[in-house]
Amino acid sequence: MDIRTGPAMEDSTGRAFRFVVGLIVLAALAVFLSSIRELVRLVVIAILLSYIIDPIAVMLESRGLSRTKATVIIFSSIMLAVILIILLVLPAVVRELSSIQEAVRSGQVNALLARLELLIGEKTAFLGASNLQLAGRLNDALMIMKNWMIEHALDMVTLITGLIIMPVFIFFFLKDGREIIKQIVGYIPNRYFEFSLSLIHKMDMQLGNYLRGQFLDALIFGVLSIVALWVLGVRFFLLIGIIAGMANLIPFLGPVAGATIAVLISVLDTGTFASTGSIIMAFALIKLLDDAVIQPVVVARSVAMHPLAVLLAIIIGGHFFGVLGMILSVPVAGFMKVVFRESLLNYRRFRLSAF
Amino acid sequence: MKSDTKQPNSLWGNIFRGRHKEENIRTILARLPLFEGLSKRELTQIERILHLREFRAGETVFLQGDPGLGMYIVERGVVRIVQEPGKNMLAELTEGDFFGELALLEEWPRSATAVTETPCRLFCLFQPDLLDLIDRAPQLGVKILLRLVRTIGERLNTTNELLQRLQKNGHPDGTGNGR
Repeated sequence: MDIRTGPAMEDSTGRAFRFVVGLIVLAALAVFLSSIRELVRLVVIAILLSYIIDPIAVMLESRGLSRTKATVIIFSSIMLAVILIILLVLPAVVRELSSIQEAVRSGQVNALLARLELLIGEKTAFLGASNLQLAGRLNDALMIMKNWMIEHALDMVTLITGLIIMPVFIFFFLKDGREIIKQIVGYIPNRYFEFSLSLIHKMDMQLGNYLRGQFLDALIFGVLSIVALWVLGVRFFLLIGIIAGMANLIPFLGPVAGATIAVLISVLDTGTFASTGSIIMAFALIKLLDDAVIQPVVVARSVAMHPLAVLLAIIIGGHFFGVLGMILSVPVAGFMKVVFRESLLNYRRFRLSAF
Repeated sequence: MKSDTKQPNSLWGNIFRGRHKEENIRTILARLPLFEGLSKRELTQIERILHLREFRAGETVFLQGDPGLGMYIVERGVVRIVQEPGKNMLAELTEGDFFGELALLEEWPRSATAVTETPCRLFCLFQPDLLDLIDRAPQLGVKILLRLVRTIGERLNTTNELLQRLQKNGHPDGTGNGR
């Protein structure tokens, strides 16, 4: 390669070379990160969770506690709450799950399904559907689920290591997060220093509000669903409510998933469509409340994403990181949106090119 | 400054340099009007939110017109403040001087450009970090804000006097440092 063709040429080849090297490093990093997928997932969840908790630590600090003490207090109360939840809620959920199993095993479900089939056949005779074979289809679905569970039993190992490692990560991110960020900022060249700090600050504000909002919103939606289903006397109300709350991270999915599962369960349970209307009404009401009151108060509008973008993010997240990836993809996509937008805005405000 | 740290590469010099540096940071901070009379513990808290940055000679610290994010304290070296069209020098700042403190209050555009004259070590205190400190340690935050307001009030007084003199005589008869 002839480099001595003049300083300008040298500069541009140098720049291109650096660009290529940068790309290779980035690609290598991506490959590396995807090969330690599990760890990345743990770290991302730990960062998100410690982020959500941070304001509590700040509040305790303002009361005169040191950061370490504040972290220890928050951490031990969370652990206590988790243990309490495991002791109180988990048995109920397990009971619900095993009673589903029981119902399937005892043939109760098959009888119900036969009745349901008859009922649907009667009510929708005009559609011409005669032989639905609901029981067979349900059994197939259950078999697939069972096989999936056996296949993924190995995941339990990673789950348990996760349960041990995660609290450690969260603890240190909560305690030393600011110090870690400061260290990273220390490596930024002077030229981009103020720009980067401003960027980090803006992202911090928007992302913090967004994540805390989403978390609170899912929590409120879940609790409301649980209460509504409990009042309506739907079985497995706890499980359905939790699923609805988590699904509500994805726009529209919360009420749809919640209502669908609840209607299915209640029809299977009672053999009639008696409570279908009230369940749908309940979820419609909760959704309305969520849209009109909870979301505007709780969720930061600035990061609000188009449902299509959210859907894309969920598919991509699910492809790479499974079910958890689907749930995490929404906040992560929000994060990327903020990073991208603020970088552009900030780049225009700071005349970096003028240096 | 009773001992000079000119022991070249000796083991003892290395061991004590760390501590000496720490003392140095705190003495510099304590001398600033912004942190006057704060306790050792409070100064340590401030030190924790400061960024220490090294600049080569002739590097731009910030450009006139850029959004201002915070103030800089000169730990070592010389920084020049210049007005952009024409690059005429407004001030030359050395160890213990500070500049850009208005940006702690609001993200106003920088009113001048800052360029290093020699290799420099600067402490940077940024508005987001200060706001965070105010959240976490309100008492200390109030103290710093009060001193900040006082500093700016003093400057306003000087400016007022200058303006009055200007209105009376048609020209300012003193040498303010123009900032």
